[in-house]
Amino acid sequence: MLVASGLVKHYGGVTALDGVGITLDAGEVHALVGENGAGKSTLVKIMSGVVRPEGGTVELDGAPVRFADARQAAAQGVAIVSQELMTYDDLTVLENLFPYGAPRRGGLVSTREMRRLAGPVLAELGLDPPPHARVGELPLADRQLLEISRALLQEPRVLILDEPTSALPRDAAARLAAVTRRLAERGLAVLYISHFLEEVMRVATRVTVLRDGRVVLAGEPVADVGLDSLVTAMLGQPARHPAPAAAAPRRPGGAAVALTGVTVPGRLGEVSLTAAGGEIVGVAGLQGSGHLAVLDVVCGRARPSSGSVRLPGGRSPRSARHAVTQGVAYISGDRKGRGLMVDKTLWENITSVSWLGQGRGGLMPRRSGLVDRSRGRLERLRVRGDVHARASNLSGGNQQKVVFAKWLDADPAVLALDDPTRGVDVGARSEVHDIVRGLAAEGKVVFIASSDLAELVELCHRVVVLQHGRIVGTLDGDRLTEPELSLAMNAGFAEPPKPSGGG
Amino acid sequence: MSVRKPAAGPASENDKDRNGRHGAPARRPRLRRPVPDEAGVVGVLVLLVLGVGLFQPDFLRTGNLLTTAHNSVYVGLMACGMVFALAMREVDLSVGGMYAMGIVVGALLIRDGWNPWLAAVAVLALSAFVGALNGAVTTYLRLPSFIVTLATSMLLRGVGLALAEGKQITDLPQEHAFFSVLGGDGTLGVPNAVWVFVLAVVVLGVVFTRTRFGARVRAIGSNPEAAEFGGMPVTRTRIAALALSGLMAGLAAVLALAFFIAGDPTIGQGYELTAIAAAIIGGTPLKGGTGSVLGAAAGTLILGVVTAALVFFEVPINWTTFATGGVILVAVGAAPLLRRVRDLRSSGRNP
Repeated sequence: MLVASGLVKHYGGVTALDGVGITLDAGEVHALVGENGAGKSTLVKIMSGVVRPEGGTVELDGAPVRFADARQAAAQGVAIVSQELMTYDDLTVLENLFPYGAPRRGGLVSTREMRRLAGPVLAELGLDPPPHARVGELPLADRQLLEISRALLQEPRVLILDEPTSALPRDAAARLAAVTRRLAERGLAVLYISHFLEEVMRVATRVTVLRDGRVVLAGEPVADVGLDSLVTAMLGQPARHPAPAAAAPRRPGGAAVALTGVTVPGRLGEVSLTAAGGEIVGVAGLQGSGHLAVLDVVCGRARPSSGSVRLPGGRSPRSARHAVTQGVAYISGDRKGRGLMVDKTLWENITSVSWLGQGRGGLMPRRSGLVDRSRGRLERLRVRGDVHARASNLSGGNQQKVVFAKWLDADPAVLALDDPTRGVDVGARSEVHDIVRGLAAEGKVVFIASSDLAELVELCHRVVVLQHGRIVGTLDGDRLTEPELSLAMNAGFAEPPKPSGGG
Repeated sequence: MSVRKPAAGPASENDKDRNGRHGAPARRPRLRRPVPDEAGVVGVLVLLVLGVGLFQPDFLRTGNLLTTAHNSVYVGLMACGMVFALAMREVDLSVGGMYAMGIVVGALLIRDGWNPWLAAVAVLALSAFVGALNGAVTTYLRLPSFIVTLATSMLLRGVGLALAEGKQITDLPQEHAFFSVLGGDGTLGVPNAVWVFVLAVVVLGVVFTRTRFGARVRAIGSNPEAAEFGGMPVTRTRIAALALSGLMAGLAAVLALAFFIAGDPTIGQGYELTAIAAAIIGGTPLKGGTGSVLGAAAGTLILGVVTAALVFFEVPINWTTFATGGVILVAVGAAPLLRRVRDLRSSGRNP
């Protein structure tokens, strides 16, 4: 149906695509995988008409196509849901669903008509937001699903999903996978781009792998491709199996974070949890179950109404700023929102916490000193990028490493990681994991929440599971597996919360 | 875009060290961006002066150029302060009112027998305090600074009008040294007000590009959320930036009082908008994160030169406002266009 062939594209001296072709057939889910920088985004941009190739063609039903923008692409039946959220946060749910002209009656926008059209699509995705809520107030997962609903309302024949589940919790991702397959059965051609390889294996019928701007695996049936050979195709070498979590080098009496009976109204109830230096402690739970609130109280962004939080220095975090000065680092998967100043250079980003946040280095340090220190940080984390380059020029994985670099520059004792590898490729993910293990080995306390359960299993010494703001279980050793974790998060979730303390 | 000030002595030595040790990687950004961002607007200023001089040679007389510069000092100081507000995504609309209030209060204090120098210090302290108040109200009531300072601009002008009872305050002791030093002919043939302006540009330029405070202002403007998460004192920095903006308006008021030797409560109408326009012409975008003090000063001078040139070309006085508006539009429109052309040429790469 949609056929691209021989696509070539350069950015400056960098070859993004070098003779890439892909064929999307009606009724299939075609997965596109590859590391960051392999050319996936460029291919998507060309197929959706945002970027013009230097060579090659894109044909829809045998006729060459050219779209001026996403709206024209949509009019011809190609809908794209991009990786970055493109919702209008100040508009309502309904207004967001009809960005190119809402249905009208007598010249005025008809809310009733909008509801009638949107109802089935929202229901299919299991989405039930109040129709007049401002989209900015919805949880991230709902916003992502809303964007997919918007694409479906255009009744496309080709649907391109670029990292659709990177922001989704597991249940929503599963729902989306089911919907994706159903759409294909209805005759849509779906291009499915994802970093989650297991998800790809489950959802897709065929898979194309890009590496360094070339096709290394062209539309193979997923059933014939194993996970290992997929990873090999992507990375160009056999996958390094993640090292099993090292035993916690607990240093008795060393630096520790202790939560004692912490209650935050509406978010946490009587949570007690101690993490020693050198320990990597995961916090897990379904959306809204309070695992992120644990990170918030450690980072001083939520203050307990009762109970206490003690940081290694003996203090309790009074505010986000106070926590930072006490050596708490907060690293989010939301790099562009919470991590980086994308319009600034790497050295300005890297020195921003230690110099501007903690106030180290005085009122007017020498710029060359700051730059040299940043260069050292980049080299130690093996970031490919010049200190004077802008953060916006880096790939997602390297951007995330810059976020690590800036927090390490502040010499933290405690790290709170919130989905630290969201949207980064497999290679960068394992590098980030190595960094985290190294930090723990240095005696730092690490808390981590992740939408990627495999990440928690690979990385953590133990994982604390929360439901309804209370700790319902702790997994470690042999019991720390993905199925066990998923079970602990979901089991009995629908039942009313039992009053229970936590271990 | 980080603002690269022309390097001072020690800094350029450091650069040499770095290039020597690390070779190519350290050199690359300099090749990519060989000229400082201010070069464009300063170049336009020079061309403008020479261009007018081509038709009106008298325009290039030192006396005329100094007068033109002197006339630009007041808005220029406000524009330099405005850079700090704009760079952190705030705006200070109260500087015009602050200026009028400062002049009236200063004049009243002097008429009441205060030592003029002491009165000047009082005006500076008062304007910095009111500026800080702008910041505090903006922060604690969670209101946009646009609205807060729009209100305070009227409050301040209203106070000035009321205190002066709507009239100019004259009969000041004009033989006092204050008036001859700050308002008079000055040093090395250049009015001292112009020297003060030059000094302010240098100091604020260094503060903006090299100090922790300036870096915080730019970081918060670049990504307020990341700044908050990174532990920066956002509230304190915002209050300080608006206090600085107020202080610059107060300084302008002191210099104007010394020059005019009178307190006119209706002075400085619309100066806040001219100051914003000058800052934008000079390369400080409204979206925050970057800015240029030197650029803002050059932007003010461009507007000043145009106003002065209109007199030379004998354009009827009633058309001056029209022409100024046209210049602002052209300048504000041309600057980003030039920058885009340069960015395209220097980066050549899609982010």
